[in-house]
Amino acid sequence: MLQVPDVALAPMLPILIVLAGAVSSTVLGFHLPRRALTIINLVLLVLSGVSMATLWNSGATAFGGSLQADNAALLLGLTILVGSIMTLLVSLDTAYRARVSFPEFDAMLMYAITGTLLIAFSGDLITMLIGLEIMSLASYVLATLQDSRRAEESGLKYFLLGAVGSAILIYGIAFVYGATGSLSYAVIAERAGGLTPANVGILVGGALLLLAGFGFKVALAPFHQWTPDVYTGAPTSVSLFLSTVVKVAAFAGMLRVFGGALASAPGWASTLQVLTAATLIVGNAAALFQPNFKRMLAYSAVAHTGFLAMALLGTPEVGGAALGYYLLVYTLMTAAALAIVAALQRSEEGMTITDLRGLYYRHPAYAAALAVCLASLAGLPPFAGFFGKYLAFQAAFQNGYVWLSVLAALTSVAALVYYLRPGMLMFMPDRTPAREYPHGERTPTTLTVALGVVGVTVLGILPNLWYGWVANPGIWQGLAGR
Amino acid sequence: MIHLMIFLPLLGSLLLFAVPRRWREEVAGFVAALTLGLGLLIWRGGGSELFSVPWVPALGITYSVALEGVSLALALVTAFMSFVAVLYAARRVDNPGTMLSLVLAMETGLIGIFAAQDLVLFYVFFEDALLPALMMLAIYGKPNRMRALVKFAAYTLFGSLLMLLSIIGVKYYGGSPTFALADLVRNPVTGAAQTWLYLGFLAAMAVKLPLWPMHAWLPDFHEQNHDSGVPDVMGTLYKVGGYGIFQFGIPLFPDASEQLRPLLMGLAAFTALYAAWIAFRQTDWKRLLAYAGLSHMGFVGLGVFSLNETATIGAMYLLAFQNVYTGALFLSVGMLQERIGSLSTRVGGVMTQAGALGGLTMALWFASIAVPGLAGFIGEFSVLLGAYQVQPWITLVAGLSTIAAAAYALTAFQTTFWQGRPLGAVRAWDVRGTEWLVLALPLAVAVFFGVYSAPALRLIQPAVRGVLSGLGGQ
Repeated sequence: MLQVPDVALAPMLPILIVLAGAVSSTVLGFHLPRRALTIINLVLLVLSGVSMATLWNSGATAFGGSLQADNAALLLGLTILVGSIMTLLVSLDTAYRARVSFPEFDAMLMYAITGTLLIAFSGDLITMLIGLEIMSLASYVLATLQDSRRAEESGLKYFLLGAVGSAILIYGIAFVYGATGSLSYAVIAERAGGLTPANVGILVGGALLLLAGFGFKVALAPFHQWTPDVYTGAPTSVSLFLSTVVKVAAFAGMLRVFGGALASAPGWASTLQVLTAATLIVGNAAALFQPNFKRMLAYSAVAHTGFLAMALLGTPEVGGAALGYYLLVYTLMTAAALAIVAALQRSEEGMTITDLRGLYYRHPAYAAALAVCLASLAGLPPFAGFFGKYLAFQAAFQNGYVWLSVLAALTSVAALVYYLRPGMLMFMPDRTPAREYPHGERTPTTLTVALGVVGVTVLGILPNLWYGWVANPGIWQGLAGR
Repeated sequence: MIHLMIFLPLLGSLLLFAVPRRWREEVAGFVAALTLGLGLLIWRGGGSELFSVPWVPALGITYSVALEGVSLALALVTAFMSFVAVLYAARRVDNPGTMLSLVLAMETGLIGIFAAQDLVLFYVFFEDALLPALMMLAIYGKPNRMRALVKFAAYTLFGSLLMLLSIIGVKYYGGSPTFALADLVRNPVTGAAQTWLYLGFLAAMAVKLPLWPMHAWLPDFHEQNHDSGVPDVMGTLYKVGGYGIFQFGIPLFPDASEQLRPLLMGLAAFTALYAAWIAFRQTDWKRLLAYAGLSHMGFVGLGVFSLNETATIGAMYLLAFQNVYTGALFLSVGMLQERIGSLSTRVGGVMTQAGALGGLTMALWFASIAVPGLAGFIGEFSVLLGAYQVQPWITLVAGLSTIAAAAYALTAFQTTFWQGRPLGAVRAWDVRGTEWLVLALPLAVAVFFGVYSAPALRLIQPAVRGVLSGLGGQ
């Protein structure tokens, strides 16, 4: 007997609005200039955010719990939208220079955002996988879209390694299904406790394969190798998108799977701990030796993956709250920093760190803003990066990972050094001619930068504005759904 | 009023970007003076009591501030020296807007450090004072500043991140509801965990104090800073390690501090003697002063770590007034540099042309090497007196550094200000205009509190008794 699926429109609305943007960009691209499409898409993203706000505390689900718009999904979804809006704003200015100014760029971007939202809203492994694949496929295209050898190379690398990651992930899903007999997070969480020993073995194998698959997506060492090449090779606005929105979505997926479905499964936490330690060391040490600023930011994104992963090691209540806060802050500061790079770079390869010398005397506002972003990335108060790092440390520390916290503190010193060098070079007087694009300061980019800088400053001084929302433990206890 | 005193300088610093260029110096001076005035008002009112509101309730972080006792004394000194620094920077630095703004921004961080009664708030102000210091070095520093900068920042962050972990640990293991000092003291951590947490806390404080072997950033920091000495004044104010150990370390880790006492006192004494020895070999005034300051900080450490009442009072006294006279000495070196274009201690004969500068500098040096009748004496003498009761041999070692101090100070002074003026040297003009104020005000303070120490002791003594009463012995 065929059953009518449980279709509820309300929880799907935020995703559908974004999807409508993707479809309309594809169709209207034949009639409208790209700028118009981008503005339509910006409006749609805001509408999607509004529809999320109306769903707050409703706990609505669709498809029998496969799609759930609980508060965790909404908080992560809003973070994704903030990053997406910043990407679109920056692309208004830089897409033309990066030679990606055609409607397909917008369409792909909106498809990718649709996928990321699906991950955040997912209630079972299949929904998550569909979202992940939509996001990944669109991202592969985005990375390759620019007509240059470097972009092609990076896109291909991204595609090949990403495909391997997806394959491992799917294999892991199969294992988990084999062990528990279900794909739904809630059922997996329920059954993970009382399995026969043979099934526990399969579950652990599945969890580890899932961890490896997600490791590719969030760039955990040793699965991070593609990150620096792809982030540097892709146009900067795409790097911005990949390092913020895509990473937030992948972490949302990890939170759902490991904080929710597999929370009581053995094995994955101790492995994640080792991977986190490796990521912290590799990311921070490699960033220390990068002469190219964009590439340094890429490695810094790897290093931040390590800090974010520390939050996953906390209990879901503490760790989820920490991750919820940190992801927004990370998005704001990374997007603002890359927006400045996108505006001021001469070519899509970014600029070398020494090119930044004396920036304060040429573009005072951008230099001050970049300094704020770097200070926040380094975790210096009163900027929000400090509280993000603090929460991550606290989550890991309180769950017994003391040595990992100490290691994170030590690697943070290396982080400070590589953030400090460009940060301080900008303020050093310089008499040589400027080495950046002279017409970089345009309104949408400035708006993005202002959003990021004001965001990290306000959230740093009054962390409660956002943390007050995410701190409620009830949100994160129901990660697997009810 | 206390909040105004903390944040007024920061407001002023932001305001400086808004006011027209020619008014900046006046505005900065006015803000600095107003802050000092507020501090004096608080002092007259007998200090300002604990004010506490939740800041991030979900995390138990509070905004708790108080200015009483030692913290009030140190905040007053900070406001005073910032005012002097603003006064000098306005005249000496070309286009001083940015510098003044940074001085004021740093003042907020420093007063905040002394006012904070919540560990996380303390950490926040602690790091906030770092940013302007780094910017001053980056914008106004000398050619090799990048190395100095990285060294300074790396040492500082290394310590403070370990401190952050300690802070998290103190609350977690003690089970305190908030990070406010009073709550943490009520829920102490015991056993081995306390020792480990104290070591993490010490890592930050030893960098700031600074204690050997965490001192390596200090000479480079001063050497590479702007010639005027203004950033150095702020740098001397930034040595809050002794205060941090006194205010937070002892109450939170009483057993651990008694356990580690001989080791830490030994390190402090070694720092004092070692720094004085190296200072003797310096030919650059700034490096000389940096090592001299390091030697004094060894004394401060010796006093605080001894957990003895007299010694701790002396250490706090020394910490407060060392900022005054060492800061003024940095400014006098800046004046010397302006006149003869060099920081060498071997120029010779400046006294014949700039008598007042030489005289004022010498008087400040006397304060620095603890000549009786000047503020340095009371501090150093009390430290030695108290520490001797605890660890006589270690104190003897530290005491040797007072002899070394006289040697390095007088030698350097002699080769710069006396001897013959080299032929063909530029003519050095004497102290003029506001420079008089810049040197004479700190000297007056050093003399006043050297002769009449009661007002400062009235602030320091009860606070020290309060902190030490929590300990078992002594």
